Amino acid sequence: MLEKTMNSSSSPPFLPVSLALCAVLAFAACQPALPATTDAPVAAGAVGQPVDGAAPSASPAASSAPSAAPSAAAAPRGPDPKRVASWSALGELPDWDGSWNPNVSDQGAQIKSNPVPWNERAAADVAKLGELEKAGHPKGLFVNCLPEGMPSWMLITHNALEFLLTPGRVTILGEMDANRTRRIYTDGRGHPEDPDPSFHGHSVGHWEGDTLVVDTVAVFPESYLAVSEAVGLPNDGDLHVVERFHLVEPDILADDLVIEAPHLLTKPWTTQRRYFRQRSHKFDIVEGVCQQGFFTSQVDADGHHVFVPAPQTEDGNPVPSGPPAPSAQPAKAHAPAKKAQK
Amino acid sequence: MNLRFRTILVASLAFASLASIEADSDAHHSFAMFDFAKTATFKAQVKEYQWTNPHVLLFFSVDPAKEGDPRPVWWAELTSPGNLTRVGWSKRSFKASEPIEVTIHPLRDGTQGGAFKEAKRLETGEVLTSNLREAEKPGLR
Repeated sequence: MLEKTMNSSSSPPFLPVSLALCAVLAFAACQPALPATTDAPVAAGAVGQPVDGAAPSASPAASSAPSAAPSAAAAPRGPDPKRVASWSALGELPDWDGSWNPNVSDQGAQIKSNPVPWNERAAADVAKLGELEKAGHPKGLFVNCLPEGMPSWMLITHNALEFLLTPGRVTILGEMDANRTRRIYTDGRGHPEDPDPSFHGHSVGHWEGDTLVVDTVAVFPESYLAVSEAVGLPNDGDLHVVERFHLVEPDILADDLVIEAPHLLTKPWTTQRRYFRQRSHKFDIVEGVCQQGFFTSQVDADGHHVFVPAPQTEDGNPVPSGPPAPSAQPAKAHAPAKKAQK
Repeated sequence: MNLRFRTILVASLAFASLASIEADSDAHHSFAMFDFAKTATFKAQVKEYQWTNPHVLLFFSVDPAKEGDPRPVWWAELTSPGNLTRVGWSKRSFKASEPIEVTIHPLRDGTQGGAFKEAKRLETGEVLTSNLREAEKPGLR
């Protein structure tokens, strides 16, 4: 009856009814979270039959039925097939799951076997820093807890990192600093024409087989090119880093870096850093906030747990959180800015 | 007081004029401020164990009379909690008042701190070390 009528476009008297019912159906379909109203169930029940093959209900599927009166409310519901495909495609990428620890021994070996091609001025500055370190009074490049940035994070970190692979992006998260994050866009975009500089710069990447190739620009000129936490120089601008991340063994990841720092180097520095994998949840990366070291825990007069500046001796040494022993040296409030000047 | 420790004290006097140089004990820093050519070993009691980033700290009390040094509280600095977990440590690795024998690489400036080398629990004989380079391999359990 009605089915036949609706399927018969040659029955002009029923066309307005058909349009009205479809519109009501569409409305009902876009209100799944609402309690049934008097209109919606009646409308669905009044139809009671598939509409052009659609299920006889006010379910979201019903709204996908072709309608003589399409509207925004009648748009297909459910996962976007393209989006589903993009997430499914991630399964084709290499398995970089787990936590990755830097091979600290290899970091040291790399510096010795493949030294940085500092230019004359930079080499003189680095020599001074090296002398300070040898004398036991190292300049702390990162004692102010600002991020190590690019490329130093990749070069000298002692802390674990992890890779998050999502459609169009690879994100690298580091254990320390809380804000140690690299966002590498793999969606085909290029660098902005006039990017805002940052500690980690702007990174775009693409996959060449199982290798992630990353191009990074727009790093703060103040960001260090460092070979240790005491030896390194601000890149002074125009830094460009190209990296190739790839597995060299099932649980060994290499980052091949080509670092262009024209104000510091005589030529691009090609080097490699290696990371080894832990899959056990025991080694999941934990939160690490660098500035926590400037504070200690106390319970205040109102009984609240609070962070307060950590006391130090006059020598700058830490003291326990509890009351200092009578003969201990006097404590003073910590002054991170002063430390940064060292 | 052992000979090595006495050497440190002499060095401490020699560098008294450098006392204003800060130790940078609580942020990312080079460990060059510690003298890895030297060690100092103490019979001590754990005073406080701070399982915090970026560096775990172990404070310990010594008997000034036995050590021949008037300073009763010393500290040893370690790497981060995340890294120490990899070599088997946890926030419960030490408890206050626990008797230990602890060895540090002392600060070059002679003040009462150093880089942690190892500690032996005197109650059990268990030795704890923290050398990350000994655990540079994947697939740890």
